[in-house]
Amino acid sequence: MLETSTRQDSIVESLLARGVTRRRFLEFCAATTAILALPVTYETRIAEALETADKPTLVWLEFQDCAGNSESFLRARDPGVADIVLDILSVDYHETIMAAAGHQAEAAREEAIARGGHIVVVEGSVPTAANGVYCTIGGKTAQQILAETVKGAAAVINTGTCSAYGGIPAAAPNPTGAVGVPDLVSGVPVVNLPGCPMNVDNLTATIVHFLTFGALPATDEVGRPLFAYGERIHDHCERRAHFDAGQFALEWGDEGHRKGWCLYKMGCKGPSTFHNCPSQRWNGGTSWPIGAGHGCVGCSEPFFWDTMTPIYGRLPAPPGFGVTTSLERIGAGIVGLTALGFGAHGVAKAIQRKRVGDAVQTPVEIDRAALRKGRDEEGGER
Amino acid sequence: MTTTPRERAEAAAREDPLQVVATAGCVTVRVWQLPVRVIHWTIFSSVVVLSLTGFYIGTPYLSVGSDPRFVMGWARAAHNLAAFVFIAAIVARIIWAFSGNKWSRWDQFIPISKARRENAWAGFKYYTFLSRTPPAGAGHNALAGSTYLVVLVMFLVQIFTGLALLSLESGGALASISGWVFAVLPIPWIRFVHHLIMWMTWGFVIHHVYSAVLMDTEEKTGLISSIFTGWKRLPADRL
Ligand code: HEM
Ligand code: SF4
Repeated sequence: MLETSTRQDSIVESLLARGVTRRRFLEFCAATTAILALPVTYETRIAEALETADKPTLVWLEFQDCAGNSESFLRARDPGVADIVLDILSVDYHETIMAAAGHQAEAAREEAIARGGHIVVVEGSVPTAANGVYCTIGGKTAQQILAETVKGAAAVINTGTCSAYGGIPAAAPNPTGAVGVPDLVSGVPVVNLPGCPMNVDNLTATIVHFLTFGALPATDEVGRPLFAYGERIHDHCERRAHFDAGQFALEWGDEGHRKGWCLYKMGCKGPSTFHNCPSQRWNGGTSWPIGAGHGCVGCSEPFFWDTMTPIYGRLPAPPGFGVTTSLERIGAGIVGLTALGFGAHGVAKAIQRKRVGDAVQTPVEIDRAALRKGRDEEGGER
Repeated sequence: MTTTPRERAEAAAREDPLQVVATAGCVTVRVWQLPVRVIHWTIFSSVVVLSLTGFYIGTPYLSVGSDPRFVMGWARAAHNLAAFVFIAAIVARIIWAFSGNKWSRWDQFIPISKARRENAWAGFKYYTFLSRTPPAGAGHNALAGSTYLVVLVMFLVQIFTGLALLSLESGGALASISGWVFAVLPIPWIRFVHHLIMWMTWGFVIHHVYSAVLMDTEEKTGLISSIFTGWKRLPADRL
């Protein structure tokens, strides 16, 4: 299946050919229905759609990336499902896993583009500085390859934070002028599956959604499907009860950490991050970062490398004060300095009063004076 | 008008005997109406609760050990409750700025008229030791008024960022209203701003109490007691 291929079998045919039972196939449909947060009645609809749909051609582009999403892709839930995932798709071009190389590989991509209606998966950000020379493949810049490949495509799926938002290559000071795919592509539906890397379950579900409904799933303001990024990590975290109770790990390996208490004070970004990690988990549902005892780093949020850091601090460092200064220090400074400033002002005012005398005639003095005058003139009225 | 201050004060007292009492050369005026005082103390007490709970939410300093107490749960519940009291008080004050007496009106906070500009200048000179005389007036002096405008803006930002943070867990309409802000400022920075404004608020409180004590010492108008009773005793020409 990883040789370059121009076959267009139906999905179910190819599954049967690989010995995937119908029972296994229906289990997959049920699991995907659950990931998509659809009512169970959709199971049959999804099964029908996958039975009749042709294998969509998939072109997987890698730009400024670490191949983490490819890794994630190849580690789909369990071997049975991995087969299904790879079989649903006709992966015509994927640098890392395809057998073909060089001109032969590029020809496969060009063929897929020529047929049209393909799904483009992008991994990695696209450099735009210096005419895009920071990432070239076969003599073409990433920008050129992207523009060619999305022409006539049915959809673009960005896997990982880099292709969605620029990710780590785009972190300040962004020397390569890296941007995410949505900044460069228009006229083709685009969906973002950020994360470092993306979770393959969400990729599968997105593709199944596309095959079943003929459209990409509904997204939030930053282009992420709501089924996977609609809920906050903090609100589904298994350590949440410890958060509400006020039980926090204060140091790596301390009592709280060993007991699985909340990692809030260790800089966990779960309260600021939307992703289905707590329910979907990773590596076939084995575990996930917080489950493994490390705080969330917010990797599925745009520009997380710049905005969610320091990784082990809860709030960003106050700008201009160096990374070790906490906001509480600044706050104490604000309060302390105002107290000091006004205290000094008070002393100076007291000195001024001593030297220059009272500022005004106070009402008490005025009253006394007026009463005296009133008595003199009007015979003590009032 | 060639009336003397005393005649003016007596005329004002005749017109509205509940709010102004004229004595020889002096007037005792109800500057702060009941809603103003109630709103003032509601804001103060909710800010105290919001700060104590907010500081705990930001820096959970109480260690509960193995015996869970739902401390954070309570802190967050109290914070949200106090937040809505606070919001109600701010909204009420804004409404009152358009319906209250002349010392509580919106124009007291924006020194645009010539008189208010001069008053602000007098206040500036007083605070910078260029003059010995505090700015004259019955309600807020113009400089203090503009400080409260800054504080109002701070509070509105605090309310907006607070609601935006709440929308992260509530979703729904709140999220649709405030969600755009995270595209401008990422979530951790919204927390940062919300946290910073707490400290700035306490900086303001120090300034506010200091200035109240300073002015009351200089002028002896009963400024400090006025925020409890509403009455100030002023030279008649202040009215
Ligand atoms: C003067 C008024 C207020 C003060 C001093 C204050 C203070 C704080 C502080 C210091 C935090 C912790 C921030 C952090 O470090 O992450 C916080 C969190 C929060 N505040 Fe406020 N706040 C005020 C008003 C409000 C208002 C009006 C709302 C509106 C509902 C609000 C809602 C929240 C929420 C939802 C959180 C986040 C709680 C969490 O992360 O679990 N606050 N507040
Ligand atoms: S570990 Fe992180 S996500 Fe989990 S409850 Fe604590 S702060 Fe929230």
